[in-house]
Amino acid sequence: MSKTIQCVVVCLVLCVSLAFSQGLSPPSNVTAMDTPNDDGSSVTIKWDAAPEDSGISGYQILRRIAGGGLEEIGEMLPAGATSYVDATIEKGNAYAYIVRAVSDAEATVDSNETAPAKGTGEWFHTGKIPLFIAMLLFGAVIVWNIYYARSGKEVFVRRIPGLEAVDEAIGRATEMGRSILYSLGLGRVDEVPTIASMTILGQVARRTADYETPLRVPCRDPIVMNVVREVVRTAYLDEGRPDVYNEENVFFVTESQFAYAAGVDGIMIREKPAAIFLQGQFFAESLILAETGNSIGAIQIAGTDSEHQLPFFIAACDYTLIGEELYAASAYLSREPMLLGSLRGQDWGKVLIFITMILGVVLELSGVNWITTLLQRVN
Amino acid sequence: MRRQVPLVLCFFFGVTIILTRFSPHPFSQSFYEEVNSWALIIFPFAFVLATVTLIRSHVTRIRRRSEHWQYSFIVFAGLIAMVVIGVPFGPQHPVFEWLFNNIQVPMDATMFSLLAFFIASAAYRAFRARTFEATLLLVTAIIVMIGNVPIGDLIWSETSSVKQWILNNPNLSARRGIILGVSLGVISQSIRIILGIERSYLGGGD
Repeated sequence: MSKTIQCVVVCLVLCVSLAFSQGLSPPSNVTAMDTPNDDGSSVTIKWDAAPEDSGISGYQILRRIAGGGLEEIGEMLPAGATSYVDATIEKGNAYAYIVRAVSDAEATVDSNETAPAKGTGEWFHTGKIPLFIAMLLFGAVIVWNIYYARSGKEVFVRRIPGLEAVDEAIGRATEMGRSILYSLGLGRVDEVPTIASMTILGQVARRTADYETPLRVPCRDPIVMNVVREVVRTAYLDEGRPDVYNEENVFFVTESQFAYAAGVDGIMIREKPAAIFLQGQFFAESLILAETGNSIGAIQIAGTDSEHQLPFFIAACDYTLIGEELYAASAYLSREPMLLGSLRGQDWGKVLIFITMILGVVLELSGVNWITTLLQRVN
Repeated sequence: MRRQVPLVLCFFFGVTIILTRFSPHPFSQSFYEEVNSWALIIFPFAFVLATVTLIRSHVTRIRRRSEHWQYSFIVFAGLIAMVVIGVPFGPQHPVFEWLFNNIQVPMDATMFSLLAFFIASAAYRAFRARTFEATLLLVTAIIVMIGNVPIGDLIWSETSSVKQWILNNPNLSARRGIILGVSLGVISQSIRIILGIERSYLGGGD
């Protein structure tokens, strides 16, 4: 027994002396704490950086669950590491950590064991405070402008040719006795461009109901199709023309992107609609649709928020709603004061951002970079 | 009441989902995921309804002998073949895979390839130098196109640099301007919907 103890002591002395002979010192100021702004699924371990000539070639993290043994976690960390996020914890358990410094010669030295730490989920992400404030500020500006417009004060809205042409396009189709084709693109029902497109469709449907012009809406998404049916049906009801509404004119084509393009192109070629609306979210099929529409001589009004597809629409369509104009359409077409007020608020937001950008550039050029730092932190 | 219920639900879920983006707590995250999963429950029902409308519209086309009505039989043949093979045997079945890889994929690729011709015809119209703006567009397009091919640098060694400058400065600035406007438009539209001011998506403006 005494021989065994002697052997252990000798080994320990040898290990310690080897460590010191390599100039290896244990990692200092090791702390373990709940990772801030997460859902409680990790603990962050931090320690001081070792001097360059410390001889440390890497770190190994060890952890101990209360009452249990030590276990190695993760891969060996590089010599310059000063922190580690343990994302393999079980919620509710407390863990203590040891940071083991390892030298090139495989000598090791352990830090002191940290106090046990638990992962806790935070209710509010403090890193997002500036974003939250900006959101509240922008929301308040819009709401204030909505109520400003509601008080009866006139709101100026610049002319948007693409929306001015809606009546012209519907009138043309009516005079020619042809249909109107309305595509909402490939967007799902939970995407804002699709919802914006539905609002335009609602306004278009009201006019086609008055003129008794057939309105054909091929859909790519089944849920969008069902919502669109409701939008068109209600528009016809509101105009007092439920008899003109034909449910079969709002139909599902396919979920596949290019099959949808082929299907809609086929409808264009066969039915030769006099007016085509391409409003919503479009991808590579945008030009396939717009060029086919152009080839049949239809008046085309397009609108998308995808800046990659805008050049195609501008080249191939008669009118294009560029980016934000798509979202202004509902207010522009209905002229409802509250909707117009929100447009005014949107412009105020742009002014605020513009001022921030100019201020940021001026301050950055003057060597003051707190705006840049703040924006980087938010990012 | 028919309008109020969707508006109240829209306000409640709109505000709650926004707040979950600021709260990493497991409760708010699981709430977010739960609500998102509801959309997955709705989808199959909507899909069945959509397939019924597809079948109905093609039956109508055949019955009325509309132009090119014969192609509707191909739709039914494809639909039946994929359902008969895909539903009992799954999408990993060799026949299903063969049909997908040898029919649908090439047809998709064919449609995508058409884009090259459509780009040429659209570019021809857009680049006709009838106005100052169109001329500017034409000159810029030529520089960017030549800068993208190896011969560009053989003609003039700085072609790639000029092309890159055009893409990095005027092009990127314009794109970011559009993105900025779009982002504000999205926020504004979302606020209008959440507050129930924008109701057109429910069918009417009242």
